[in-house]
Amino acid sequence: MNILPKAGFSDPMLRRPFSVYWTQGDEAEIIIQEHGRGTGILANTREGEILDVLGPLGRPWMFDSADYMTAVLLIGGVGVASMPLLTRKFELDEVPLHTFYGARTSSLIARDHLANVHIATDDGSEGFHGSNVMLLRSYLESGKLESPKIFACGPTGMMRAAQSLAAEFSIPCEVSLETEMACGIGICQGCPVRTEESVFAVTGRRYRLACTDGPSFKAEEIVL
Amino acid sequence: MNTTLNTNGEVKPNLHVKLGNVEFKNPVLVASGTFGYGAEAKQFCDIEGLGGVVTKSVSWKPRMGNSPRRIVETASGMLNSIGLANVGVDTFVKEKLPYLAKFDTKIIANIAASSMEEYRDVLEKIEANAVPNLAGYEINISCPNVKDGGLSFGTNVERTEELTTLLRASTDRLLIIKLTPNVTSVAPFAQACERAGADAISLINTLVGMSIDIYTHEPRLNTVTGGLSGPAIKPIALAQVYQARKACSLPIIGIGGIVSAEDAIEFFIAGATMVQVGTANFVYPDAGVRVAAGLEKYLQQQKIAEVTELVNTLRVKAELKAAGW
Repeated sequence: MNILPKAGFSDPMLRRPFSVYWTQGDEAEIIIQEHGRGTGILANTREGEILDVLGPLGRPWMFDSADYMTAVLLIGGVGVASMPLLTRKFELDEVPLHTFYGARTSSLIARDHLANVHIATDDGSEGFHGSNVMLLRSYLESGKLESPKIFACGPTGMMRAAQSLAAEFSIPCEVSLETEMACGIGICQGCPVRTEESVFAVTGRRYRLACTDGPSFKAEEIVL
Repeated sequence: MNTTLNTNGEVKPNLHVKLGNVEFKNPVLVASGTFGYGAEAKQFCDIEGLGGVVTKSVSWKPRMGNSPRRIVETASGMLNSIGLANVGVDTFVKEKLPYLAKFDTKIIANIAASSMEEYRDVLEKIEANAVPNLAGYEINISCPNVKDGGLSFGTNVERTEELTTLLRASTDRLLIIKLTPNVTSVAPFAQACERAGADAISLINTLVGMSIDIYTHEPRLNTVTGGLSGPAIKPIALAQVYQARKACSLPIIGIGGIVSAEDAIEFFIAGATMVQVGTANFVYPDAGVRVAAGLEKYLQQQKIAEVTELVNTLRVKAELKAAGW
């Protein structure tokens, strides 16, 4: 969904795109990492303040694809935001699930609503000392995951690593992207995602839009 | 003119405006590139509440657009470098135009091209596939984000006049020339459009702007510079509309940073007959409808019967006017 940091607009002017982190009844939760002015304003919002929200927008994870038996959630940092609802869906459907959660340090881990979590930290403060992609690689090499599919959300570097890991092991992989975005509904054309040559050859489309074609894409179809 | 009463027995103001021989239900259009081809915003906006839709620029062939990064938010505005990404005129006449034809509102097809012939060919292709609510064309000679594009026309008075003359011969529908603020004075361009037989001018397109990452020393936009839009440019747009108003007698469509009815009213007072709401659509996809509703309320409060009564009503002291202000 696309949230305006304060009512009425001029500065900041644009909405900020967020994943729905969790829902309960008629309440929706988001998580915010303070980054600039927009997220700063949102982080300082007080209880009872009214936010202007447009959504839900975009296309969800393709959890219905028939090409896997084990769901592998690959989380980097604040990319965790899109994972709890996906976890809930897999638990309801009784799909075997492994979560590889990478963070800079232990205190930055948002632990709620996840399942079967394997943690990796850059500073070694918790779990595997190193990247979650390396950790996942060791699981793939040992053959512990039966017919896996990767669902990845995190920094571009991590998703690029997920892309090549999936290609190397010939397993399906989806990545959920975050780009600069103005409208969130396919009008402004401001959030292009470059398509792979093979996709371009077939569709004639050089770019797809993160807002309406995504934010979730098949890893092999895009260039990160 | 017919007057109608609202439920309180008050006179309902008349929002209709005429441009050439086309009547619009209200003077609020959505600007090219900020409303797609209608379908994208339909979920969030009552398209029939708009005076009309100016479509995303269409060129002869589809255009991929520029590489990312294409947008940067700036103080009270944004920079864009989309690069005229569009479906091309074939898809436009096959799919986009018939879709918009279903709505009770006017369509203005915006055309971008890199040569006189391309402008003409695109216009004639649309003309040959026209739908009943196609009111006319807005000619984009002012996109700052493509190297082979319209700005080379829009910053040259002779080429502006030559192109307008050429296109005038190809259509009896409205011919609107969209002017750039990236010139020393807009006045000679407005006059060139008038001489060449345009029905109206629309202004302003975006201003050339830039944003830099101070840690990498790189421009934030892939194309280094881009087009600035949003509330930040409204004062510039108003001044340009006022200058154009003094320079020619063509109807003017005011564009630039309009987010509210109050903003639109300033443009009418400065001399615009109609307005376009642009960047605001990225935040509120129904911004144009909100502006039209606010306009009606203002007219009612001010007991003004017709929106056209607002046009060109700027009060400038006689001695200042005489001195050229």
